[in-house]
Amino acid sequence: MADLPPPARLPLLLLGMLSLLGGVLAGLARLGWTVPTPAAQAAAVHGPLMIAAFFGTVVSLERAVALGQRWAYLAPLAAGQGGILLLAGDTSPLPRLLGALAATVLVAASVQAWRRQVSVHAQVLVLGAACWLLANLYWLLGGDTAQASYGWLLFLILTIAGERLELTRFLPTPAVAKKAFSGIVALLLAGGALAGVDGGRLFALGLLLLAGWLLRYDIARRNLRAEALPRFVALCLLCGYGWLALAGALGLSGAFAPGHDWRDAALHGLGLGFIFSMVIGHAPIIFPAVMRVRIPWSPLFYLPLALLHLGLLLRVGGVLLGKLPAHAALFNAATLAVFVLTLLTQVGRGRKG
Amino acid sequence: MSLSASLPDSPSPSPSASPALPSVEALRAALGKVADPEIGANIVDLGLVYAIRADATGVSVDLTMTSPACPMGGLIVDDARAELQRLLPPEIPVEINVVWEPAWSPALMSPECRARLGWED
Repeated sequence: MADLPPPARLPLLLLGMLSLLGGVLAGLARLGWTVPTPAAQAAAVHGPLMIAAFFGTVVSLERAVALGQRWAYLAPLAAGQGGILLLAGDTSPLPRLLGALAATVLVAASVQAWRRQVSVHAQVLVLGAACWLLANLYWLLGGDTAQASYGWLLFLILTIAGERLELTRFLPTPAVAKKAFSGIVALLLAGGALAGVDGGRLFALGLLLLAGWLLRYDIARRNLRAEALPRFVALCLLCGYGWLALAGALGLSGAFAPGHDWRDAALHGLGLGFIFSMVIGHAPIIFPAVMRVRIPWSPLFYLPLALLHLGLLLRVGGVLLGKLPAHAALFNAATLAVFVLTLLTQVGRGRKG
Repeated sequence: MSLSASLPDSPSPSPSASPALPSVEALRAALGKVADPEIGANIVDLGLVYAIRADATGVSVDLTMTSPACPMGGLIVDDARAELQRLLPPEIPVEINVVWEPAWSPALMSPECRARLGWED
């Protein structure tokens, strides 16, 4: 079956971006800011909108482009559509059903990629997709979002970890390090499954170990000496690993448990610090790959990166001091807007040049 | 000083003349301009170019990727095609095949690339 041409991928990307916008505004509503009604009524589903809808759409879009087969695009379509229904206030099982459908298609696409070339990293991507599916099924069957969050987070953590592992093939990675990586993945999965029992401590230990592994074995440290885009990507990655370690350290004290005073800091250290650092670093690479438009490199990309980490320092620092992170969250939201504007500015420059 | 500057009367190559195809080495050098930004190296040094065939009927290249789950593949193919077409007359078709066999391995990287990435040969 033929691939979907790049212009036809744009509506899928826009669906994901709507979930991002709605998800961010829903997060602000949670902290007391006045936002438009669709986002305000979606305050309780900030997490599902950000991870299951936004990231679900973009990750499965990226996988569909890699596979180049039309059926795989059903995943971003269903995930994005689910996000829109959540923002429209649909409380029926339909948006959750669409989420489960999207994740099922992503699992199938990831298995297909794995069969093309059997490898540990492709296996980790399958596991990540399976975590998304399990979390979506759990939520569909009436489970609470707090427990489902571990599956959603594992979906993104394992997707990133699998892709980073793939790139270590270019480096002389010792066999023992490869074994350790598989051990950490197993620990993270066990931690997610047991999170209801231990308040996410085992999961947090897995995060801390993963951060250590990535800081030690990822290609990023080597590329800090490179120039332009490879150096920028490396810096994004290393900053992200720092936040991953911090989220893990906070989680060891139980910060991931619902109701914990530091939960906001742990979740956003992970979600914004680790995961969005990856997004900022990889958008200049992945966006052209998905949309087939040129994005010329510019040091301007350092602006959203600096703002992300500054805003997150304010947020995490404030939470640890017992403050409500309302203003810092607004800073974080504005940073994402700056990031999208930077990206669009460079797309515009690429079209002219 | 370039050769053409010392020979001001020499005719410039006419586009209507049947041009000779560039050598495989010249085509390989053109592919060397296609970079993988994640690694900061080009696809030739990374050992992703498996074969280059060129004759009067067209140019065809076998490329591999290191991961079937990476969306960069299509873009790398487009960039490779664009670099080759820059060297070739428009009537020569360029075909880029993405192949998965044999699977890529680090042994395929150039010695310079391996040294930069920390391999001790």
